[in-house]
Amino acid sequence: MRLPDGYQERIYTPQQARSVEAVWRHEEQCAGRSLILPDGRCDVIVRYNADPDVVPRLVVTGPATQPYWVEFETGDRWIGVRLRPERGGVLWGDALGGAKDQVALGDEAEDLVPELAGLGVVGVPEAELRQALVRFVEGRALSPEGHRVGETVRRMHLTGGRFSVTELAARAACSTRHLNRLFGGTVGLSVKTYAALVQFHRALRLVCDAGGSLSDAAFEAGYADQVHMTRAMRRFGGFVPSDIPEGLIRPDVSGGLWGNRAA
Amino acid sequence: MKLGYTIIYVKNVPETVVFYEAAFGLTQRFMHESTLYAEMETGDTVLSFSAEEVIELDGLAFAPNEKSAIPAGWEICFITEDVPAAFEKALAAGCSPVSKPHDVPWGQTISYVRDLNGCLVEIATPMNLEG
Repeated sequence: MRLPDGYQERIYTPQQARSVEAVWRHEEQCAGRSLILPDGRCDVIVRYNADPDVVPRLVVTGPATQPYWVEFETGDRWIGVRLRPERGGVLWGDALGGAKDQVALGDEAEDLVPELAGLGVVGVPEAELRQALVRFVEGRALSPEGHRVGETVRRMHLTGGRFSVTELAARAACSTRHLNRLFGGTVGLSVKTYAALVQFHRALRLVCDAGGSLSDAAFEAGYADQVHMTRAMRRFGGFVPSDIPEGLIRPDVSGGLWGNRAA
Repeated sequence: MKLGYTIIYVKNVPETVVFYEAAFGLTQRFMHESTLYAEMETGDTVLSFSAEEVIELDGLAFAPNEKSAIPAGWEICFITEDVPAAFEKALAAGCSPVSKPHDVPWGQTISYVRDLNGCLVEIATPMNLEG
């Protein structure tokens, strides 16, 4: 696992009983930009700077399915709460359906979570920011569908995204249509898209760590062939398997150690 | 090399240990404080249980064992002289019956159940290879 300097996080357990998957903080030592890989999760973040005169800004991300670049200045800091995939509605409410790949900044973010509007002022200590974010996320009611979707998300991670939608629906004892509806209302993505993300992250790991060829990795990841793996890497990472960017931050989608996630 | 461990990935390690103690008369010999891993007292070749969620950290993937799904194509086999009694004990502890005790042409009495996680378990008399 490659994590950037200045990045720390704490995983919250037991996972399925909570909305918070992890609380993380990150600080940049110099200006630059980073490629952030999509993880299908929503985050609520306060972005600020070591310079106390910089006004902190609230950020709410929707479930990401595309790679994006984040640009930063020296001393930029983020403190964030990453939600479990099936808890996206906690931040987006009814707007989750249109939240895919959206990032709400400043006023827009405060409209989504007005309870946190008070964090966008100078001088709030980091411990208070952290506490406010966690308290807010854990204090919001969970949707009743969350548990069933949580079980399905778990199966997707165990299988590396290789179960078909039909198999997932059968194991959840519902129709594929119903499962997709549940997913749209909790994760904010289709079952197929989330499974494809899980499969992509595992394939990336296999390419980097398994010690075999690209076609070995494509086979183990469950792609029909190497062409399909290449297509997935282009879609979710913006690169091809034979040319993975050096220093790429690879998030661990299992809810273990995660890479940098910022906006 | 020699066979060291049979490790079954399960949703809940402590629950599975308690179940195996009740259903098959095994005893726990080790449980990690995280409760994500445990070993049963089975001699040199260890039967152990590991929590499913740890596998993704190593990049593995598998079809999880579940009672409502088709079991994976392998089994655990316990040997006893009294198969009917062991079969009844397993059912009383919550196993589902798959095949009740019956004699087979090569001299064994065998039976099959599925455990709490849906894994296939055989309960049989020892095979007499010299017979």
